[in-house]
Amino acid sequence: MQQFANPTRFLKLANAALPAVWAITAALFAVGLYGALVSAPADYQQGETVRIMFVHVPAAWLALMVYTVMALASIVAIIFRHPLADVAAKTAAPIGAAFCFLALVTGSLWGKPMWGAWWVWDARLTSMFVLLLLYLGYIAIWRAIDQPQRAAMIARIVALAGFINIPIVKFSVDWWNSLHQPASVLRLGGPSIAFSMLWPLLVMGLAYTFLFLALHLVSMRTEIAARKIRQLRIARIGER
Amino acid sequence: MDFGAPHAGFVIAAYAVSAAVLAALLVATLAQDRLKRRELQDLDSVRHEERR
Repeated sequence: MQQFANPTRFLKLANAALPAVWAITAALFAVGLYGALVSAPADYQQGETVRIMFVHVPAAWLALMVYTVMALASIVAIIFRHPLADVAAKTAAPIGAAFCFLALVTGSLWGKPMWGAWWVWDARLTSMFVLLLLYLGYIAIWRAIDQPQRAAMIARIVALAGFINIPIVKFSVDWWNSLHQPASVLRLGGPSIAFSMLWPLLVMGLAYTFLFLALHLVSMRTEIAARKIRQLRIARIGER
Repeated sequence: MDFGAPHAGFVIAAYAVSAAVLAALLVATLAQDRLKRRELQDLDSVRHEERR
């Protein structure tokens, strides 16, 4: 694992993997959208509105997964001083924030026709909103603090402290009374939804995951370039 | 998908918002990558010329 800590080696691997990752992402979206909009039946209670699930649920899964990636990268950065760990955490945050925003907006668009309200301050929705604030706070730390070492140190602490919200989001529907339905895919006893709706949901989940992977690899490559630019500029100032 | 069904507008809006946000994220990520890599190349070439 340590051998991949080298940015040059990482860039070589990322550049080699990216064309395949983009191709898989496009194929998964094509199959997933066909399943979501054409193949999956309308729900007997919710009608066509159930199709919002195929964009809402993957966005929510990714919002949780990306924050978990950030927390794990922060642990690696603290323990092993892995040079790419901070880069991985920092560049994952804007992507995770976008997924979290999408989960909230598509959830609101699903809530209005089903619950009669765009928004309710129940445990699942509120904890998801807190997750968005955590993402924005984390991004703000990197932007507000000029010294990269200091920003990294504070960002790691925020990422780890904020991770406590992840199980709260996941189990909020079990711990408190909620308008939001309980888990129907990632639950003990297996998924409770029909296979005709399950497979497009899983394919869309994979499509979102591969999109994250592709965007994250590109963002990490960009951040490595930005850090080299900073180093070169400092070196030039030193030479003068 | 039955576009005449009740609440179809909410479904269309959810897919449209998702497509718009993900497309914007994709374009911004690729544009930023291109910009930084070009900037790095320019700096590298300036350094090489200065060393000569």
